[in-house]
Amino acid sequence: MYQTKKSRVLGLLAGAAAILATSSMAQAETVRVVLGYYSAATQELFEGMAKDFMAKHPGDEVKIEVIQWDNLQQRLTTDIAGGTEPDIAMIGTRWLVDYVKNDIAEPLDGYMTPEFKGGFIESFLSPSTFDGKMYGLPVAASARAMYYNKDLLAKAGVNEPPTNWDGVVDTAKKIKALGTDAYGFALQGKEIETDAYWYYSLWTHGGDLIKDGKSGVASPEAIKALTLYKSMIDEGLTEPDPSGLNRQDIERLFKQGRIGMILTGPWLRGQIKTDAPTLNYALSPIPEGTTKATYGVTDTLMVFKSSKNKELAMKFLTETAFSPKWRIEFSTKEGFLPVMKEEAAAPVFANDPQLKAFTDMLPYARFAPPVANWEQMVDAVIAAVQKVYIGQAQPEAALKEAAATIDGLIQQ
Amino acid sequence: MGRASAPYLLILPSILFAFWIIGYPIYDMANMSVHAVNRFGKTAAFNDFANYQRLFSHQLFIGCLIRTLVWTVFVVGGTVLLSVPIALILNEKFFGRTLARIIIMLPWAVSLTMTGIVWRWSLNGQFGMVNATLSNFGLQDTPVEWLATSTTAFPILIAIGILVSIPFTVTVILGGLSSLQADVFEAAKIDGATAWQRFRYLTLPLIRPFLNIVLVLNFIYVFNSFPLIWVMTQGDPANSTDILVTWLYKLAFRYGELGIASALSIVMFAILLALTMVYAALAMRNERSTA
Repeated sequence: MYQTKKSRVLGLLAGAAAILATSSMAQAETVRVVLGYYSAATQELFEGMAKDFMAKHPGDEVKIEVIQWDNLQQRLTTDIAGGTEPDIAMIGTRWLVDYVKNDIAEPLDGYMTPEFKGGFIESFLSPSTFDGKMYGLPVAASARAMYYNKDLLAKAGVNEPPTNWDGVVDTAKKIKALGTDAYGFALQGKEIETDAYWYYSLWTHGGDLIKDGKSGVASPEAIKALTLYKSMIDEGLTEPDPSGLNRQDIERLFKQGRIGMILTGPWLRGQIKTDAPTLNYALSPIPEGTTKATYGVTDTLMVFKSSKNKELAMKFLTETAFSPKWRIEFSTKEGFLPVMKEEAAAPVFANDPQLKAFTDMLPYARFAPPVANWEQMVDAVIAAVQKVYIGQAQPEAALKEAAATIDGLIQQ
Repeated sequence: MGRASAPYLLILPSILFAFWIIGYPIYDMANMSVHAVNRFGKTAAFNDFANYQRLFSHQLFIGCLIRTLVWTVFVVGGTVLLSVPIALILNEKFFGRTLARIIIMLPWAVSLTMTGIVWRWSLNGQFGMVNATLSNFGLQDTPVEWLATSTTAFPILIAIGILVSIPFTVTVILGGLSSLQADVFEAAKIDGATAWQRFRYLTLPLIRPFLNIVLVLNFIYVFNSFPLIWVMTQGDPANSTDILVTWLYKLAFRYGELGIASALSIVMFAILLALTMVYAALAMRNERSTA
């Protein structure tokens, strides 16, 4: 009796030892990836990449988890506070600076070959570079362009879309003169990206958000940029009371054929296709003031410093997720702009004239500056432009107040 | 175990548990508010009340505080002023009273977020039902963006705040009214008291305890009411419809200023606690003097 018990225990021990031995031999590792939800395709795309990668690296595992963007930052924050963060996360590039400052993001240069890094379109790399080190790979990119209603412009006697702000004002005046319920130029006045709608004007007038470590939102160029919008509101060239309309509201007006010109991103193409298939529209660059510019926005894949499997995590990114095959698949299915050169050269992108309007603007793309407290600065700018739009303050006074707030935040 | 202490000992675990559930978050919040906190919730050293200092010197603090008080006083005041006559009417017997009661209660069944979304849509200047109705009746020729400036947005928010607070308030007052004895009123009528006199000297004093409850509870709810304003304006334009609780949300979850946000939470807790205690003391003194 005793003997059998003893042998059973020994057997169990031997078995356990065998399991331990095999597992340490194969070094099976798991990489956890947390992603933001773009569309129903997101999960499927990354599951596909994970499957590809696991076929090449038998024994290792890549786990994909997709989360709504609205909850993503809060979820990662709680994970970090609780020490249960994943290995890779997708984040808005503008959040990255906080991750770098708090020593949460891993610098990636050591894990990449120069050829791999050289494969990216350069302008997309700068937003995730701090002190010369890269902390993230741009994964989804968009730029902005001007959509114009061809029928409406033709009715007003304008056959070529305006290329500069004087032309926009002139065209809007002609649309106003038609006396219909259509407005010349759409102006967004509330909620997310209200600031961005003004940056188009700021940047094309030669202004900067941050210059020499100080806020540039009260520069002469900035005042000029805001005065232009305000004068358009006062002359009735935009929809009345812009501070009551958010981005969806003005896009809806455009889809109804009641807006001559609107500045927005590639997603509106898809919406028009389903919501207003008969709308006769085209795309052109953001109107120029003294210079060309557009707003570039990227999201980033970053690797956590705390991860135990950084090597493998980076292999998943460099070998699979950022392979031309998956890049093209991702960008076409999600409707983003290419971030890698090989991807941009693919026929799907190179031969789409509408997408070309966006990609042509990429060399002039400006990004949200990589500074801490960015969201607070955004709200200070939004408050300033809103005060001007509703006539509560003059452009100079409102912008000076915002600049003072931003300078205070920079020094923090 | 003594006879007298037995009941206390038996409920002691529940009391301790309740204290722990309610007390721990408050303790944690208070602790966070006096330490440096990064945006990932990691607390560092004690920082000499710097969070409070930054909160009180913030340019938006006083404005939000004043708006919160205006919002609370107007919504609670308006609710009670409207609810008393509504409850009086619903307390009378008339044809269709049950239906009328149901209609008054109905907004209660709809979540505040839903109400906010519906009103936001209705008040939209370009696509909203309010403007469509007004222009159909020839009352306006250009669309009005109701939520575009605080001069229209804030009174509208207060009005909707009143609307959604009425069901609860009417229910409580109705309960009070139905507990009144009919013979007292009959006697007063025979003695020649007018309707107003009966209301002023009989109904009102008799339902005072119910009014007190309604005032205190509504005060707490409305002071902390987040969904309506957040859904309809997010405090826009230019923070002119922000109250403390919407600003608190922005500080904590948009700006990652967890230190200031926890300080603000503690300040709001203190304000509510103080006002409720003052009111309760006043109400009790009144009750004693009338008794």
